[in-house]
Amino acid sequence: MRPTRGRGIGGGPLRAGASLAVGCVASALVVGGCLPAAATAEGRQIGSLYGIFVAIASGVFLLVYALATFAIIRYRVLRRRDAGEPRQVEGNDVIEAIWTAIPLLIVGGLFVGTLAVLSRTEARAATPAAEIHVRGFRWGWSFSYPNEGVEVSGLGIPGPEVVVPIGRPIRFAITSDDVIHSFYVPQFLFKRDVLPGRQNVFDVTVEEAGTYHGQCAEFCGVGHSAMPFTVRAVPPDEYGAWLASERAAGGSTPPVSPGATFLPVGSP
Amino acid sequence: MTTGAITARPVPPSASALVWLTTTDHKRIGVMYAVAAFGFFMVGGVLALLMRAELAQPGLQVMSVESYDQSFTIHGTIMMLLFGTPMVAAFSNYLVPLQVGAADMVFPRLNALSFWLFLSGGIIVLSGYLTQSGPADIGWTGYAPLNEPTFSSSTGTDLWIVGLALTGVASIMGAVNFVATILTRRAPGMSMFRMPMFCWGILVTSLLILFAFPAITAALAMLLLDRRFGASFFVPTEGGDPILWQHLFWFFGHPEVYILALPFFGILSEVIPVFSRKPLFGYRAMALAMILIGFLSMSVWAHHMFTTGVISLPFFSITSFLIAVPTGVKFFNWIFTMIGGKLWFPAPMLWSVGFLFTFLFGGITGVLVASAPIDFQFQDTYFVVAHLHNVLVGGSVFAMWAGITFWFPKVTGRRLNEPLAKTHFWLWTIGFVVTFLPQYQLGASGMPRRYADYPAEAGWTQLNLISTVGAFLIAASVVVFLVAVVEAMRRAPDAGPDPWEGNSLEWWAGSPPPHHNFRSLPPIRSERPVFDARVAARAGVAASAVTADVEGPGPVPGAHP
Repeated sequence: MRPTRGRGIGGGPLRAGASLAVGCVASALVVGGCLPAAATAEGRQIGSLYGIFVAIASGVFLLVYALATFAIIRYRVLRRRDAGEPRQVEGNDVIEAIWTAIPLLIVGGLFVGTLAVLSRTEARAATPAAEIHVRGFRWGWSFSYPNEGVEVSGLGIPGPEVVVPIGRPIRFAITSDDVIHSFYVPQFLFKRDVLPGRQNVFDVTVEEAGTYHGQCAEFCGVGHSAMPFTVRAVPPDEYGAWLASERAAGGSTPPVSPGATFLPVGSP
Repeated sequence: MTTGAITARPVPPSASALVWLTTTDHKRIGVMYAVAAFGFFMVGGVLALLMRAELAQPGLQVMSVESYDQSFTIHGTIMMLLFGTPMVAAFSNYLVPLQVGAADMVFPRLNALSFWLFLSGGIIVLSGYLTQSGPADIGWTGYAPLNEPTFSSSTGTDLWIVGLALTGVASIMGAVNFVATILTRRAPGMSMFRMPMFCWGILVTSLLILFAFPAITAALAMLLLDRRFGASFFVPTEGGDPILWQHLFWFFGHPEVYILALPFFGILSEVIPVFSRKPLFGYRAMALAMILIGFLSMSVWAHHMFTTGVISLPFFSITSFLIAVPTGVKFFNWIFTMIGGKLWFPAPMLWSVGFLFTFLFGGITGVLVASAPIDFQFQDTYFVVAHLHNVLVGGSVFAMWAGITFWFPKVTGRRLNEPLAKTHFWLWTIGFVVTFLPQYQLGASGMPRRYADYPAEAGWTQLNLISTVGAFLIAASVVVFLVAVVEAMRRAPDAGPDPWEGNSLEWWAGSPPPHHNFRSLPPIRSERPVFDARVAARAGVAASAVTADVEGPGPVPGAHP
């Protein structure tokens, strides 16, 4: 049963493999951990859930990598035809039951966490502080505040800027004029599809004042990568002032002129 | 390629084109599937390189947005349906009859028809490049209503529909054939639980195809009616529903992912025991895990639709999570097959161990995106791109290379040059890590997929550049593989029937096996009949029975009556 040691086939490659494995784990842990800082209450919950998932995933990851690396290093042999066959083990019901049961418990736990966060992201406030109707179209966005008589819209880059108050739930009701788009603000850790013929509704509570980049996330044709928008989150009094100035300016900003449209310059 | 002197049957000894065009031999059909799929793989790979070149820097340098959209559409379509699926058909055509000890498939002519339908379908999809407006440009998922003529009027999209419908029919025919062959043509003594694990993979996969492919065939037919005959199945302004397309597409599309996974899990379960010199750890659990993954894979389709807002989020989260359990069982069984063994690392085993390390990462990120709220961030970003390539390239394609290097001596009678095969492995593995790991971070930081361009100030430039470098490393490794194949084919056959000391019946036949495969079979008392025969021979028991069938004539079990 003792493995033959020494200068073996693949000794070098295997050591390289072990270091590659370590490198993979390290980069995985680094790479997996980098979500943007969430700007919304819902996003923070999603971020925490993600943190829990990554912690458990890292444990599983390290365990499996360690086992596999152990097997490779401990049981490799110099030549194919060294004496005799190893012990012919066909299985072990007990440990097989264990490594079925433990993952089952883990995913059960992950599911409970998922339900908890879903109950928050899918919740609807009784009285949102603002209600914004979003229309996506090829290739731009329109944001209207039906209770305030204000509309903001824009084509292509840089796209329109929607202003929202912080600290209280705001409601987005989204729909599309043509194909499916998706309303995606990376710093909200959230997106929802913008469907033709249907309206999707979701609430978010922005907690940090700031300017957040938004973009279309569902492929919608040649302008897909060029329909961004901006969400500017401001304190409630500033939000009130902005609404007043928009109303004074006529209630709606016209779409950006076609001179600034979506197609990136310099297509070959 | 020639079957050489080992055949005594009235088959033309030379490999003239007519022999290949008219063949119903499962081995020739398998080889044709492999060559055709590999050809499509090269086309899809070139498209990937072009896209990575475009994304290396912000701005448009290599191609127009229109060409970019066509490129990712055809790349995805090829890799899933013209490379992945037919590569499964290549392995299963070649191996299933051999592994169950049969002379051929149950329906050899249907088998040939499958291949030619697939090839025609593939050529029809690509013929979009010959039209004025180019090939389909709606993504391989072809979402409605972007797939309607109002938004994608090109003939290329119609060709895409018709071509894919043909390949789908080919897959269904193949699945019928494999189910029938596995259920009815197993050699005497081979109970279901003595079948090689690869055959279990193909059995479950074939059943999945029978359930899943009719959905996409129907969806494609409906779409063609919409586009050419004014129906409105998916047109929201005329009472149709674009979400219906997503349900039909993913009812096919998610099982399709497992159609591209289970056979390759089967390949690993063949390779690892041979190079560990131990039986597969927990054979029954492995077979059961495959069946369970097959069942579950039919109930997770809408996890691709978490952000649509029109599906049950908890249901599709829990079913998706549950798939991790049987997959984890397989993982531990593979590792425990190695533990206590005597491991030997030629190219097939390197690929198998590489699979364990790379696929795990894709499996774990799969659990992340199975959680609906986490998926709200990752859906349609490069995180999902990284995940799916991690599973399909880091998983299925690693196992495909394991299978190709493992059975290459069986199919050609020649061993691959080991240093070249190992160079291929290391270049590919490094290229894989460099290409796809950065894409996780790109997605986590919000870079959407299917963007021809991104702003310089987004901070995505460096990671994109790294990813592009990795893609070219992968391409270089494929060149090394092709060199190894050419080098091997210029040599005389020298592999012998059983170069690896294999377990299953294909290693009992010659390399390449003669027409109708076997003249004699060893007794089948376990899932490793050739291993048993070798042990018996070493022990001096029944030594006279242990001769490869190339030695002389004998009965042909499983042949047509």
